Amino acid sequence: MTINHRRSLANRCNALKSTGPRSVSGKRASSQNSRKHGLNSAPDFEPSSEYRALVDLIAEEGFSAFACADIASSLLNYRRVMDAYYDTYTSPEPVDEFLRDANVKASNPIFSELLSPSGSEPQDMREMAAFFASMQRQERRKGGPVSRRSADTHKLMRYQRNAIARLSRAVRQG
Amino acid sequence: MPVEDKSKSLLPFLSSPKLLSDESEAEFQSGLQSLLSELDNPSPLAVALVSQLNECLWWIRRHTVDKELLLHEAMARLLSREGSNWMGSGNSKLSVALEHYLDGSADKDQAALIGEALSEANLTLADLRARAFKDAARHIKMVDDLIHRQHQTMRHLQRSIDSIDYKSRLIKRMDLELAALESKQPMKGVLSLDDKPS
Repeated sequence: MTINHRRSLANRCNALKSTGPRSVSGKRASSQNSRKHGLNSAPDFEPSSEYRALVDLIAEEGFSAFACADIASSLLNYRRVMDAYYDTYTSPEPVDEFLRDANVKASNPIFSELLSPSGSEPQDMREMAAFFASMQRQERRKGGPVSRRSADTHKLMRYQRNAIARLSRAVRQG
Repeated sequence: MPVEDKSKSLLPFLSSPKLLSDESEAEFQSGLQSLLSELDNPSPLAVALVSQLNECLWWIRRHTVDKELLLHEAMARLLSREGSNWMGSGNSKLSVALEHYLDGSADKDQAALIGEALSEANLTLADLRARAFKDAARHIKMVDDLIHRQHQTMRHLQRSIDSIDYKSRLIKRMDLELAALESKQPMKGVLSLDDKPS
């Protein structure tokens, strides 16, 4: 067992004891942990300069003021979705190679060594090993970087569908 | 305004094309220009929609490449699982070697590593590919869905472009009809003034 392996395992065990952020800024930062792409929030494009310039350009084509506003916001919304699509595609969740390749059975002595100072029972060690094994199974199921980015991008399909439907409707009804 | 100028003036609104490190911007722009050249005097909105359409085509290309990469990934995974390479850094080394081997750009060591892994797993390359396809089926289906979505998006964009084109032609036709009516109107007026009341 290498020192790095031992240290990584010890860090992970210590992290499990964490009770979360305590400071206000830490809590504020961690409140955004689950934010993935921000596409569920309703954007307001009207104050942006792109929106106004786009409205002016579309107005030259003989659309009504209402249609111009609708088309401009739909187009910017579509761009927002496609930008998030690109970001998701280019930065998939990284592969945790340590967790994926770790031999959980061979790590049992380290678990017992790490848990023994706190007077833990053998049952605790078994639970920790089972927890690591389940995390490893999850990690392996996610596959490599290409599988991950496909799965992540797949989740954004419905946003693209809604955005293009809205844009198409705005243009055809305008 | 020429087509090229129109597409350039719209770029700030549509954000400049986001390409991957190994993609050529010139190729992207030439695709866009060829699409724009098919339109007869496109309006700024039509140019905006055509650039979205070009991006969809680009995404289809990327996802098609991904399908092959998914297979390679699954092949490397199967090879390392079957052999004794599952532990340590064997996995990534094997996948790089396999990538080069399938491209035909593998060096001697990489070819030997793949040959050894295949014989250890008692598999041929065709068997491995078939098994990898089965293994990666779930993700390949996802990529197929993504490609299908891009096709649907293109259909929406095409319909929108057609509608803009139709609208502009309709406006032009109405303008012509109005001009014709206006040119007829004064003649009528002249006639009525010249006519003597009966």
